[in-house]
Amino acid sequence: MSSLNASQPALGEVQPGIFSTLQRALTSGWGARISAYILFLLIWQALTWTIPRVPGPVPVFVFIWTEMTGGPHGGVLRGQFWGHFLITLQRFSFGLVIAIVTGTILGILIGSLPFARALLNDTLLVFLALPAIIWAFLTVMWFGIGDKAPIYTTFLTAAPFVAVNVAQGVRAITPDLHRMSAAFGVPLTKRIRYLILPAVMGYLFAGIRFAVITGWNGVLLAEFFGSAEGVGWRTRFWYDANRYRGFVGWIIVFIIFIILLDRLVFTRIQRRVFRWRDAQGESEIAEFAAASTQ
Amino acid sequence: MAQATLAERQAKQVSQYAARKRWQRTGGLILGWVGFIGIWYLISEFVVGPYLLPSPLAVGTHMWEIIQDGQFIRHFWSSILKVFAGFGIGLLIGTPVGYFMGRSKYWKAFFHDPVMVAGSAPGITYAVMALVIFGISVDGPILAVALVSMPYIAINVAEGIEGADQKLIDMSRAFRRSERDILRHVLIPSIMPFAVAGVRLSFAYAWKVEQLTEVFGSSSGVGFKIRQEFEDFSYTGVLAWVLLFIIFMLLLERFVLVRLERRLFRWRGQEEGEKT
Repeated sequence: MSSLNASQPALGEVQPGIFSTLQRALTSGWGARISAYILFLLIWQALTWTIPRVPGPVPVFVFIWTEMTGGPHGGVLRGQFWGHFLITLQRFSFGLVIAIVTGTILGILIGSLPFARALLNDTLLVFLALPAIIWAFLTVMWFGIGDKAPIYTTFLTAAPFVAVNVAQGVRAITPDLHRMSAAFGVPLTKRIRYLILPAVMGYLFAGIRFAVITGWNGVLLAEFFGSAEGVGWRTRFWYDANRYRGFVGWIIVFIIFIILLDRLVFTRIQRRVFRWRDAQGESEIAEFAAASTQ
Repeated sequence: MAQATLAERQAKQVSQYAARKRWQRTGGLILGWVGFIGIWYLISEFVVGPYLLPSPLAVGTHMWEIIQDGQFIRHFWSSILKVFAGFGIGLLIGTPVGYFMGRSKYWKAFFHDPVMVAGSAPGITYAVMALVIFGISVDGPILAVALVSMPYIAINVAEGIEGADQKLIDMSRAFRRSERDILRHVLIPSIMPFAVAGVRLSFAYAWKVEQLTEVFGSSSGVGFKIRQEFEDFSYTGVLAWVLLFIIFMLLLERFVLVRLERRLFRWRGQEEGEKT
């Protein structure tokens, strides 16, 4: 298919020397991934050279290191990292847990009762379309500076994603199973436990994953605009201090955090929970597309 | 004769059923909206007071003022232009990226991490990036929209390429069509719907990020106005702009995007059509 694959053996035949080994290393999957990162860093560095306002990769990573180890930033400022991170994580996980519980209940209602669906569907759409920044502003105005605004923002941005996904999962259950359980007089609690929950698990998972990504954005924004501690506030602190390397450094930390959470935690749990299923979603592309449909 | 009447009766039953379903849906919809506004009114009046949560009427009046003095058109138009410019750039870059990802293993591995990271990075990242690179300007939101929509477009295009009929390509080769002809007549037609689907998927998200970028650094647009109202501590102002934004999004989604999609996917036939 690709021209690269076609040209590789031809070169190998000519001379199995160091060049062909190098070429094989460069054209391998890992070579491609590493070259992508290197290219990214080069583009970043080029941007720094053309626009002096943009902090370069080296100062930014030095900043992150100093901030994490608590070293001096020059002058009297010292790095502060883990304390703020812990505070934000507490707020984030608290908001997320409420969002998952509420979202699941709402999703089951919307999925199983047509009336609830007609009643709540548009409201849900509106909530999905609302940018997190609006919740951040409203909650900061309502609750002032403190823990409440970030928690509520996380909850309000994350819950609709859980609800929509769970509702989809409930509606995907074959009606025959419902009818059969009705015919055999299975009580509602048992029906939820043995019919709805197992069927909804996959959808719930997709919803939670998306809720985590949007909720993380929400908690950061709420802290940026209305908090006196936490990582969002720390970002704001460096922005107000007009030190863009701190501003950008924290943003890099946020990206790394969410990617690690997604890759290490979610992919693992998903694999464990769905071991019993047939191999599904092998193609990353399909997985990504599925996640983005929500 | 008897068969015809049976068919007629069935058709009548079906249409009655459909009408009843439709009624139930519109009824629930209206009830939903009335309930929404009703609950809002009750909370504003009896729970938190009209200062913390202005009544629907106050917000509605303010919305009408915004529409009447031309601010609505001005700022929404400014935001729309930025979104479209951003999407244009996203398509321009994302389509070739997706094309290469779909055609070669190397480029797939190369773009895998950037696309994955760009797809799950929090919105605040893009706002900050735009602010740092462009300062307070029109270009910031455009860059943000382009960066947000690009991974979705690239992924969808790659999927379209991978799903393109290999037999059709082989046949074209057998008949000695040039690579350009294959691109023009086989690959591009099979990519286009996927590219549009990518735009559609990322649409709501791109709007959110565009608003956010305007909040952080812009001098026009809806996000900028919301930021202004927030800094004036005007609950009515924030809610009025937010509601206008919601209504605008819902209308755009219902009337423009769904139609556009239906038009572009028409050739795919009934099976796909039913899903939308």
